[in-house]
Amino acid sequence: MKPVAETSSTFPTGHRNTPAPRGIRSGRRIAKIGAVFAGLLIVVWTVVPLVWMLLGSIKSSADVTAATPRLFFTPTLDNYIGLFSGANNLTPYLVHSVIAAVGSAVIATVLGALGGYALSRTKIKGKDALSFWFISTRMAPIAAVVLPLFLMFRLAGLIDTLPGLILAYLSFNLPFAIWIMSAFFDGIPPSLEESAKVAGCSQWQAFWYVALPLTKAGLVTTAVLCLVFAWNDYAFATVISGPNSQTLPIAATQLVTQTGVDWGQLTAIGTIVVLPMILAGVAVRRWLVSGLTLGAVTGE
Amino acid sequence: MSTTELTRTQPVTTQPRSAARSRWRLTFNGALLAPGVILLGVLSIVPLVTLIVMSFSRVHLLGGIRLEWAGLDNWTRALTDPDLWQSWALTLLYFVATLGIEMVLGLAIAILLSKVVRGQGPLMVLILLPMFAAPAIVGLVGRYLTDPTFGLYAWFMQQVGFSQDILGNPVSAFVAVTLMDVWEWTPLIVLISLAGLSSVNPSIIEAASLDGANQWRMLRHIILPSITNILLVALLIRSMDAVRYFDIITVTTNGGPADATKIVPLRLYEAGFRFFDLGYAAVIGLMMLVLTIVIARLFVRLLTGKGQRP
Repeated sequence: MKPVAETSSTFPTGHRNTPAPRGIRSGRRIAKIGAVFAGLLIVVWTVVPLVWMLLGSIKSSADVTAATPRLFFTPTLDNYIGLFSGANNLTPYLVHSVIAAVGSAVIATVLGALGGYALSRTKIKGKDALSFWFISTRMAPIAAVVLPLFLMFRLAGLIDTLPGLILAYLSFNLPFAIWIMSAFFDGIPPSLEESAKVAGCSQWQAFWYVALPLTKAGLVTTAVLCLVFAWNDYAFATVISGPNSQTLPIAATQLVTQTGVDWGQLTAIGTIVVLPMILAGVAVRRWLVSGLTLGAVTGE
Repeated sequence: MSTTELTRTQPVTTQPRSAARSRWRLTFNGALLAPGVILLGVLSIVPLVTLIVMSFSRVHLLGGIRLEWAGLDNWTRALTDPDLWQSWALTLLYFVATLGIEMVLGLAIAILLSKVVRGQGPLMVLILLPMFAAPAIVGLVGRYLTDPTFGLYAWFMQQVGFSQDILGNPVSAFVAVTLMDVWEWTPLIVLISLAGLSSVNPSIIEAASLDGANQWRMLRHIILPSITNILLVALLIRSMDAVRYFDIITVTTNGGPADATKIVPLRLYEAGFRFFDLGYAAVIGLMMLVLTIVIARLFVRLLTGKGQRP
């Protein structure tokens, strides 16, 4: 799998191919200016909300709700300091978010690597049915899944616990991890393991020492995407978590009250939630296409 | 997501095969798959059965959970509820609007990006950013941007003459939540379409342009037909996600004003977790699940239909 950004530069651009007559050339210049303008507009549309959130988080309370939006202001860290020192401290929310997201990502990736390898190499008849089960479970509407989970977790005493939240996140991360790891293992020729076995490796050794190291990128991508999915969840957490397990997105929505919203602190939480996931996501961007299309499209 | 599919695979893993070696191999794969499959069974098949049972029951939560048989009561109530059908119509409108805009815009941006020779990587990264933001945060930031007294976008709208409360007016609220979804998920379509565009064989395009095909005809007759499958993958993935995510609407309008944005999952949450009418909510859940399974079926058929991944 080659990076999309690199491969697509081989895509020939029209103006390079044929020398065009003068009239067409100036027409193309206009088209080019139009394209640059459109590109600029797209980037502005994409980036402004994020930048505005980031700026909001370092504005004083007067600046953040100024009637005329302020681009220039004296930056302050008061919102972040307030979040971690006030009456409703953000630290427990942050800890819950990290434990729930990392916990489900690690369990999903480990079980996904094992199951995905088996799914990729097995030749059993029910493989298609099994694949369909994984995909439909991954894609099952959260609203439909959360109802029975709420009932089951209430019976099992898992409401408002972090293990409960991790299990809820596994309901979508586990099928995702198995499925996508199997797609990554599909990209590694089984002949390598075959020759390792001829050389005396056991099945397990062929998997552990040959196949697994070759799919390190796949493992990292799977773990990162699972982390992002779980970290960004709101719909499960709003039903299953309570005071002992609430996560950051819940903390953010709790700032919206009848009496008003502290937008400075809210944009600060937003920044804390969004920034790490952007960094993680950009780090694995080469494999994002495979990951997010469940392996249906590779970056080649 | 059904029990028959799980059990169908089990006898095969334990079935003795003629060749000892291949039998061992299958059990090895079976052993690797077992932990994941068992855990997933608990997290997918048990809930499915529970959901079906719930849909035929009155669910009592106070004083210990009790399910009381209610027959088809929940089903008849749901199927004859004009409010629910109105929500479905609204959901359909929301899907068509978000998916339509995202597909067209995403493909257009991808085509534009594919022409960029230098700096395509950094540009792509900038365009991808919204995808990683938590939808709940996107909704909250959307509220901040559209606040009638200090919102940045509200301020722009006021400059051009629209001075109403954006999220307070049924039509503009619907447009606003649609655009927030478009903002967050168009990048996914860009990403997938760009991967498709870069897989088009350059020599075909070269040949066509030597034959004098202009840009538009090249797009229409050569590029688009060769990435149809990939666009279909993008559409199916997005539609399944569209059924999944509703956080943006929950935190912005929560279905209002006057039910103008109350799509089906919001109605399910309202029935289930505000009125604690869990049996009725289960019916809505099953309706949504059927929709997802139909889309997933198409997706898998697309993947396996050609004997290989497109």
